[in-house]
Amino acid sequence: MTAELPPGLALQKVDERIMTLNVGPQHPGSGHMRLIVQIDGDYIVACDPDPGYVHRGEEKMAEYRNYILNIPHLERPVIHDSCNVLYPYVLGVEELLGIEVPERAKYVRVIASELNRCIYTMYWLAIYGIFLGHSTMFMWPAGDRELLIDLMEKMTGARVTHAYFVPGGVRNDLPPNFEDVCLRQVNYFEKRIKEYADIFYDNPILISRTRDTGVLSRQDAIRLGTTGSVLRASGVDFDLRKKEPYDVYDELDFKTNVLKEGDSYARSKIPWLDMLESCQIIRQALKKMPKSGSVRVKLKPNPKGKLDSVYKRVESGRGSLGCYIVSDGKPEPYRLKMSVGSFRNLIALPYLLKGEKLGNMPSVYWSLNYWPVEADR
Amino acid sequence: MGTATGIIRALNSGIKHLAVKRFTLRYPEEKLKFVGDGYQFDPSTGVGIAGLKGRHMLFHDHCTGCQLCSIACEGVAEAIAMVKVPEDQKQNKKSIMPQIDYGKCVFCGLCVDACPFYALYMTNDYELSSFSKEGLIYTPAQLQVKPFVSQDSEIQITDRGASHG
Repeated sequence: MTAELPPGLALQKVDERIMTLNVGPQHPGSGHMRLIVQIDGDYIVACDPDPGYVHRGEEKMAEYRNYILNIPHLERPVIHDSCNVLYPYVLGVEELLGIEVPERAKYVRVIASELNRCIYTMYWLAIYGIFLGHSTMFMWPAGDRELLIDLMEKMTGARVTHAYFVPGGVRNDLPPNFEDVCLRQVNYFEKRIKEYADIFYDNPILISRTRDTGVLSRQDAIRLGTTGSVLRASGVDFDLRKKEPYDVYDELDFKTNVLKEGDSYARSKIPWLDMLESCQIIRQALKKMPKSGSVRVKLKPNPKGKLDSVYKRVESGRGSLGCYIVSDGKPEPYRLKMSVGSFRNLIALPYLLKGEKLGNMPSVYWSLNYWPVEADR
Repeated sequence: MGTATGIIRALNSGIKHLAVKRFTLRYPEEKLKFVGDGYQFDPSTGVGIAGLKGRHMLFHDHCTGCQLCSIACEGVAEAIAMVKVPEDQKQNKKSIMPQIDYGKCVFCGLCVDACPFYALYMTNDYELSSFSKEGLIYTPAQLQVKPFVSQDSEIQITDRGASHG
């Protein structure tokens, strides 16, 4: 095995002590992706994340469909967070078409978006629990999530993949008596998630497993371009709902949760604290929402955008989610690009796993709030 | 807080749940109740009416065979095909009506938004399983039938927790 190799190729040097381990690509968490981990005994020497197994070409598909027909497929990357993943696209198209959205529609959107953030986070929390071997923490969030899914189903007509937001507002008005049902179930939901503190977040077994593992410092978090809960767990106060308020977030009173530690525990706690804030936002929005009025601007069929490009971003369940749309005056976008939080957070993984024990890998990986399908788009 | 106290509190939190009501739904016997009669759309105002996006319902007397639902579905799922209806059931001049393949449909409801003649609505029927792929293709005659749905369970919140009452 010396001279037969074609020019330009070389054999990889193998260290006797190092073992290469493929974690995945068959569903290590949720969705197909692979982590190529090199271990020395029980310790991780290097980690190479390998995304791209669930690439669907959403951006290219968007170039062949008009602004309305893009809605069902653009929410597929994150079906549990489908309102938030559609939000920047809808905001961008509204600017391109020059539509002013009715006031009531803005509030309905905020409610739908916050409910969806909670639904996504509960799903994430359930998987985080089962990654740590805590099966109660899988059962409880998976069950309590049903309270909010029921609300979304009453609101939009679908349990997941709602196709609810459209350029110009939302597709249908709230059903009668929705405000009371929503308030009752959100209040109970808040009471339930507060109980998670005892069994999960204050549990000494969880703390001993996640404290001081995968520490991401404040400088590294900014340098690597992480976003969302990962950034906020490292002590950076950054929430797009506060920094660049869209729709009616500037009229609502809520706070941004920031923790300084930057370890796996802090990263897992931030989404939970955010859910408690989301309950506050939903209650305020229900109170301030105009009781009647239109929720959708009537568009003419096949609306054409002006010759312009637009970039809008929102705070999704996984951090900043941006959508860049270029229009050339046709009913279809000329180019659509999504900048997603999952992919930006994955970059931090090789730095976090270096020197960790292999047993800590699942908790560090899933604390990044990573969603493979969204990262591959 | 010490380790022992923490573990006892965690266990205590679990034990309290022995007194909490069962939240899950016994599905085939009990079914969830939905609002309204399914998703509908009013073309005059351009706003939909809230309801479950289930199986479609086609009103033969309103359908003109304009193919707008089929055109809308081309960009989404390609589930709607316009088929010739038999001569004795002919309602419109073109005598074509939508036929929906539920193996492809994603239940987004954009075909309902596209219909300007109040001809296509969605219903609360979601139990569409079939033993063959052909069984999932609903002809205009099958879409005309209003489904029978008995759905009565709703989430009820009591002092002993939430349950599907």
